[in-house]
Amino acid sequence: MIYFSELKGKKVVTEDMIQVGILEDLIFSASENPSITKIVVKNKDDIRLTIPVVFLSKINNYIYLKKDFRTTNLAEDELFILKNILDKQIIDLQGNKVVRVNDIAIQNKGGFYIAGVDIGVLGLLRWFKLEKTFRKISSKINFKPVSQFLSWADIQPLELVHGQVKLKKEEQRLEKMRPEDLADYLEKTNLTSVKKILNILDEKFAANVVGNLNVNYQSSLFKLFTPDKAARIIASIDPDDAVDLLLILTEKKRNQVLNYLSEKKYKELMHLMRLSNTPIGNLILPEFIAVYSDDLVGEILKKIRKGTTDFSFLQHVYVVNKQNELIGVANLHELIMQSFQTPIYRFMIQNVVVVHLTTPGEIALKKILKYKLSALPVINNDKQIVGLVTIVDLINAFNKG
Amino acid sequence: MRFLWNKYKFLFLSFFSVFGPATISAIADNDAAGVATFTLVGAKFGYSILFVLLFVTILLAVTQEMGVRIAVVTGKGLGDFIRERYGVRTALLVFLLLSIANLGSIVANFSALKAVAGMFNFPAFLLIILIIGFAFLIISKGGYHTNQRVFLLAALFYFSYIFSAFRSNPNWGQALVSLISPGQLQFSQEFIFASIAVLGTTITPWGQFFVNSFMVDKKIQLDKLRFAQIETYFGSFLANFFSFFMVVATAATLYKHGINLVSGEQAAIAIAPFAGQFAGFLFAFGLVNSAIMGIIVISLTTAYAFSEFFGFEGSLDAPFEKGKLFYGIFLFQLVIASVIVMLPFISLFQIVLYTQSVNAILLPLIFFYLLKITNNRSLMGKYVNNKWQNYLAICSSGIIIVSAIFVIFGLLFKL
Repeated sequence: MIYFSELKGKKVVTEDMIQVGILEDLIFSASENPSITKIVVKNKDDIRLTIPVVFLSKINNYIYLKKDFRTTNLAEDELFILKNILDKQIIDLQGNKVVRVNDIAIQNKGGFYIAGVDIGVLGLLRWFKLEKTFRKISSKINFKPVSQFLSWADIQPLELVHGQVKLKKEEQRLEKMRPEDLADYLEKTNLTSVKKILNILDEKFAANVVGNLNVNYQSSLFKLFTPDKAARIIASIDPDDAVDLLLILTEKKRNQVLNYLSEKKYKELMHLMRLSNTPIGNLILPEFIAVYSDDLVGEILKKIRKGTTDFSFLQHVYVVNKQNELIGVANLHELIMQSFQTPIYRFMIQNVVVVHLTTPGEIALKKILKYKLSALPVINNDKQIVGLVTIVDLINAFNKG
Repeated sequence: MRFLWNKYKFLFLSFFSVFGPATISAIADNDAAGVATFTLVGAKFGYSILFVLLFVTILLAVTQEMGVRIAVVTGKGLGDFIRERYGVRTALLVFLLLSIANLGSIVANFSALKAVAGMFNFPAFLLIILIIGFAFLIISKGGYHTNQRVFLLAALFYFSYIFSAFRSNPNWGQALVSLISPGQLQFSQEFIFASIAVLGTTITPWGQFFVNSFMVDKKIQLDKLRFAQIETYFGSFLANFFSFFMVVATAATLYKHGINLVSGEQAAIAIAPFAGQFAGFLFAFGLVNSAIMGIIVISLTTAYAFSEFFGFEGSLDAPFEKGKLFYGIFLFQLVIASVIVMLPFISLFQIVLYTQSVNAILLPLIFFYLLKITNNRSLMGKYVNNKWQNYLAICSSGIIIVSAIFVIFGLLFKL
């Protein structure tokens, strides 16, 4: 994650270090998927260049553009971050003032889009480059500043055109959430409302949400679903996840569901299921380190030095929320590259590839190879991390037999 | 008569539905610091300083009208615009300056209360606690209209200055003539500084913010803009009408007998030998009233500004639960200011000096934003400044900015 306050005013150069100007604004599509499409660069003659993000090569101390970049114009339905959202008043449905937009959080891992708006004090301090100082001081007095954040799913993008940052109605908001976020949200409500909400969603999307729910919820939901509905959901999610899901069900229910699948899908899933005789349990390595999302890099490094001296394997730091549910991961390289005062949620990867306790070893192996990872976290029914499976252990286990 | 009433009933009612905010904020400009300044200059220069009053009235009317127009046309406050158009950094800077200056002004008002309490052997501590309690109660519990009524009642008490002026047997003819001609006055450096002081106490950053925010909070419809403008001019006139009597009361007594005041609060005691105990008492009463009004209005200004700059609910009509921050900031300032004023080692003179300099830095900034907004057609539509309004506004702002610079230089070089 990166903040607009950190991008604004950054020098923009081409890959061969020819200065273009400074970043003034970002342009995004005013829709449910607010991907950033163009950047506005002010050159030294005060002329504003609009450059599509495809020419953006990387962002670190400078913003690098490809050598042959071209400029373009504003398209329809496109808005500016600086002009249209930043500093604007956020109002709720009744028109009450809530707060102002202090900063914009931009997701730059797996896409380049607006994740949400920062409405907290930290967002204000960031404009004065005081965030780190503030964190340093507050960590001395044992106080943890929490960042206050409003997800894009909460905002009505069409209202932005009218200069209003308006919050959404609850139901409206759910439909526009990312499946992972919606799953997190649903886990906090009860089963009947989960079912109600899943019913109004588009089937493909609903399947995606179900795939992201924790195992307890999945199994209870599948008890409620009719076999054909369950089959449709099974068919539309990733086969590896589908097998994971099927294995949770009772044998009777599983067979019912399998009957409703298409021939091809049935064969594919059955093949995977047959592989699943090896339980993953005896491959789990219980050595891992988990930290909270607002822990600072400095604290985490200290924790690693102190708590992991006898570890045989350490590649990742796992991030959990206050309920100890796994919500992110960062590898050691990323950790070392950051300054001590950065909280880990700023750079962790949120979409963690996980395996369940019930996941067959073969599926775990497939996943680890597919995503080119060195280890996968194993989570229990409550999304809590119980250990790791490493690629070496997985390969060893299946090489023998 | 009945015929006239029927004919103009609608106009009258419309006017009275709008009436309030601009008058209140203009009169609040005569807070304890304002009263102190007028009595000091009255005692020092006599009727001749009245010459400045006419200018000040026009300047006040022109500048307040811009704030009122912005509020009615856009429904937004100055703070909203500064934040939205100039970003967080500017907004925070302006807010910090404003809250520091406002805190200083509140301290000045509290210290006037303390001085008056001392004169009448009333425990100052108790008086201050009572006032904070009263202020917080009406602001947090009362809605907009309750508060407006309380403020207008306080404005009525300004008539006490008129009574004390009459008691002091002034030369009315000379006083009135002085309004248009300065008479035998020579434009000394001291006179210029006194004029600037009069200007600076009437046209204040908090006054500009307050008239605008208070108008926004009233949510006046655009079709009543005309009435709001008339009210603004009336309010400016009324405020300086009262100032006139403050000057007259001291000019007729202290100036005439060559008594120089060290502080404005002393006036209540100093005029008693010449105008009688009752006039002195009325003057003291007026001063307490001015101080309370100043304390509430200035503190409310910071609270309004805070909610505009940072986007929190900020309306007198907001229930306590929703406007917690708004009411909290209001109370917080009063408490801090009262603690400062009670500390024995703090020099009030220094505080007033710093407040003046911060105000002098802020005023040009505020006029810059006011002019920018009132000339922006996309915001104001057909209500942008016309050519003459602009000339007048720029001239007024120019005079105020020049005098602000004077103040800063004066403070820097200890003239």
